[in-house]
Amino acid sequence: MPGMNSGLNISDPTVVAAFKHAVLHQGLWVLAIFAVLAGAWVAIREFWPAARIAVPTPPVPEMPARRLLRIGFGLLWIVDGLLQAQPGMAVGLPSQVIKPAAESSPAWVQHLVNWAGTSWSYHPVQAAAAAVWIQVGIGLWLLLATHGRLSRLAGVAGLGWGLVVWVFGESFGGIFAPGLSWLTGAPGAAACYAVAGLLIALPARIWRDARTGSLMVRCFGVFLVAMAVLQAWPGRGFWQGDLHGQPGSLAETVQSMAAMSQPSGTADLVTGFASLVRAHGFAVNLVAVGVIAGTGLALASGRRQLCRYALYALVMFGIADWVLVQDLGILGGLGTDPNSMPPMLLLASAAVMATAPAAVTATVPAKTAGETDEPAASEATAAAPVAAGAIPAAPAAGPRRTRLARVSWAFATARLATVTAVGAIAVIALGAIPMAAAQSGRTASSILAQAIDGNTAPLNSPAPAFSLTDQHGQRVALSSLRGKAVLLTFLDPVCVTDCPLIAQEFREAGELLGSQARRVELVAVNVNPLYHDISYLQAFDREQQLTGLRNWLYLTGTAAQLEPVWKNYGIASETLPAGAMLGHSDTAFVIAPNGRLVRELDFDPGPGTTATISSFATELTQAAEQALGQS
Amino acid sequence: MTARKLTGPALTALALAALCAGCGSTAAASQPRRSATAPALAMSLADAEATSQAAWAVLPMGSTSGPNQFWQLFLDAGRGWRLDTPPDIATNGAVELAGLSGASLTTGVRPSLYLTYSPVSSTADGKNWTAGPPAAGLADVPDALAATAGGRLLALSTKGDVSSAGVTAPSWRPLISARELGAGAGRSCKLIAITAVAYSPAGDPVAGASCRSDGVAGVFEQTSIGWRAAGPALPAALAGDETRVLRLVTTSAGMTALIQAGTGPSASLLAAWRPPGGAWTVSAPLTLGTAVVRTSSFGAAGSAAVVLSGQRAETISGPGATWHGTPTLPAGRNLVIALPAGEPVTALAAGAGTVTIWRLTGGGQWALSQKINVPIQYGSSG
Repeated sequence: MPGMNSGLNISDPTVVAAFKHAVLHQGLWVLAIFAVLAGAWVAIREFWPAARIAVPTPPVPEMPARRLLRIGFGLLWIVDGLLQAQPGMAVGLPSQVIKPAAESSPAWVQHLVNWAGTSWSYHPVQAAAAAVWIQVGIGLWLLLATHGRLSRLAGVAGLGWGLVVWVFGESFGGIFAPGLSWLTGAPGAAACYAVAGLLIALPARIWRDARTGSLMVRCFGVFLVAMAVLQAWPGRGFWQGDLHGQPGSLAETVQSMAAMSQPSGTADLVTGFASLVRAHGFAVNLVAVGVIAGTGLALASGRRQLCRYALYALVMFGIADWVLVQDLGILGGLGTDPNSMPPMLLLASAAVMATAPAAVTATVPAKTAGETDEPAASEATAAAPVAAGAIPAAPAAGPRRTRLARVSWAFATARLATVTAVGAIAVIALGAIPMAAAQSGRTASSILAQAIDGNTAPLNSPAPAFSLTDQHGQRVALSSLRGKAVLLTFLDPVCVTDCPLIAQEFREAGELLGSQARRVELVAVNVNPLYHDISYLQAFDREQQLTGLRNWLYLTGTAAQLEPVWKNYGIASETLPAGAMLGHSDTAFVIAPNGRLVRELDFDPGPGTTATISSFATELTQAAEQALGQS
Repeated sequence: MTARKLTGPALTALALAALCAGCGSTAAASQPRRSATAPALAMSLADAEATSQAAWAVLPMGSTSGPNQFWQLFLDAGRGWRLDTPPDIATNGAVELAGLSGASLTTGVRPSLYLTYSPVSSTADGKNWTAGPPAAGLADVPDALAATAGGRLLALSTKGDVSSAGVTAPSWRPLISARELGAGAGRSCKLIAITAVAYSPAGDPVAGASCRSDGVAGVFEQTSIGWRAAGPALPAALAGDETRVLRLVTTSAGMTALIQAGTGPSASLLAAWRPPGGAWTVSAPLTLGTAVVRTSSFGAAGSAAVVLSGQRAETISGPGATWHGTPTLPAGRNLVIALPAGEPVTALAAGAGTVTIWRLTGGGQWALSQKINVPIQYGSSG
């Protein structure tokens, strides 16, 4: 998967520090948002005493099953958001989580996932911070918005983000890859989050409908039976604990979980279970298939008592699976969620709970004309002040009431939970907006280049003069470029790694400069004492698609002409033995339009991924723009 | 729970599971189709060639593949073997030998990593090198580059096209493509691909090819009236077999070709010689059976050798001679036989960082004569 990762170490100190700084910075903004909202709410209620005594329309009591989903998945989203704040996430998520999840999927899935992973890699800090706050925001929103339209919208947000994570983060939960198993996480934790979001987003009248619970539990039962059939399907390797000295499918998964970095207690437990699976694979799978199929059939029957017993069995089995097979899901430094079993059990519990007779329906007030299906939805806008006529501070009713006044009044009379739910939406925006802004550009953040080569060194001295021959055979003196910013580097035309990458970075920088490109000259000096004929420069330019770049100059000369230039710019060039390429420094210089050297960039291109190439191009572009600004 | 109640969900679940199992299964491997390109060979680009004054050998060292595999050139100019890899270039993509004459040699470096074209360099003494015109990426065959003593060059590219570069006009120009050759002189042999290039002793471009065969090996020569088939006729028993010119080199004794006829267990190997102005002589076939040609090499006067799988080698001394097996070869990750003029048959066995050189004694034994430690620069190419 090209471009899927930045090639950096997941613990790279530069990126980790920037990520921590971003999360902390945005965390302060989160606190500020809530403080401002709370302050405004208190202040406006002080301004309008009537708001304090206004009684909102009593909300319809929330169905217990929905409450379970809302609170359960609200907490899960917050846990997931906090897991996203682990230091290795910024660099590690694309290469260590997304890419491995997609590796066994079909090419079209890999293509889709690669696009997302590359986008993340271009802006790892913004992307990782966005993931933190979007998920924490959704969690808070679910917890705080207990009913009404605001609560249903929280479900929609959970559905939307859950689908994003399921498609791009989990490669559709692996449903298009071989080895699909409910025990190991199929059809993906994020699919459960999306389903929960969908259910939470349903109107209250659907929740009050007795058929809803029955449908939920039956569907869940059918799903489990399907998973059991899949688990029992011959030829998929689940019946063999050990196959010709190699672990079977389940044993292999458990072994890989045990190998992950984690506390010794859980490691011992999982390792022990892996041994058990290898020794008694058939029996373990038989138990698994029996429990999954049995509970599935019981739930599919829709009989309440049977469903309840099935749920007990499923919860016990699920917890065992979560510990022994899924290894809690959150360990290893790059766990993004507690895996599929907790959300799966939450869904199962909610489905069974939803089959209970809806006692609350008796208390639902009769609809009045114009009332929406969601009585609570009107809470923020239609709360009537008690004895409104007696309190002059309340805004006048009727069409003459301004929009601002209506909003202010709604805000003043809203419950604190509703106000903080609005704050949660702001938290999501806080994460999403910087990421969207970063993604709107086509270049990678310069943090990757800084992580590879450190910060740049400022200079302030006249650029050493030289006069060499360009790729077209024309003589070019550095002094003839006065009035333009010059990005200068030293390239070997027969180099197999770094020089082609640096050339690609220069080419991309030339494109990024846009209209400013006419004021910037991209210059490379040949650093190879043997392959210095202009035919090599032309071959290199063709290879790196530099021939169309109008402000590109690749200069050469005889070894005697080149060596003083290398020396004046401190470029070390060494003929290495035994088929190695010429050893030379990877450096770029920035020369201001007044002919002074203003900066030296360490320019080892690192792993040469699309993200790092783009990052170096960004760094070059910024350096050129600064040099132009200094003129 | 009634059976009727269970039937619907159970069938639905079964359908779902079957769908998932189908999605998650790898498709059964389709039947291999006959490829339109040349048959794949396991032959390495490791090579050894000799003139009356010197012998060169090329072997891969370092890692077994990837950016830390570096191809090394060794030279024996009469005072023992020494490392003589061309300087200032990464040789991850293999070194092609061409234009051997006296102590002079031309090399081309195959593309690797981000290098997509082939730098060319020459030496007249094994010490001082000069760059030649950069060629399009050289093909993955041992004879993708040819040179005359005067400096003319012939290159077979990865695209299968042949180009030439002159001395006075040192830029490359297209000469012929596999498609053009297949539609012309190669039509009768049902040409598959061009597999080697050489200059004839008269200085005319020559191309070797793989053919579906009409009983004549695919060797084509450019004359004043265009390209013409110039390959040796094969023994009648091999007339219907697919053939491939594995090697095509020119020495002072004329042209020498190694030709594989047939595939699979019925494959055999033939050497063919054509002296300047003369006709082809073809050796008796060497039945390869299940053996695979690993590397091949040539001496100064038409001798040739091949290293086969199973750590054995066969040599042939020239026109009219027959193939002779050598004793079991010394251990080595990569082996090549060198045939230096006036010296015993020599085996070079390369490991990661050491090459051992063995000579075949009159008693039929391999005797260690030299050991060269090669200072591999790991990490210098990525």
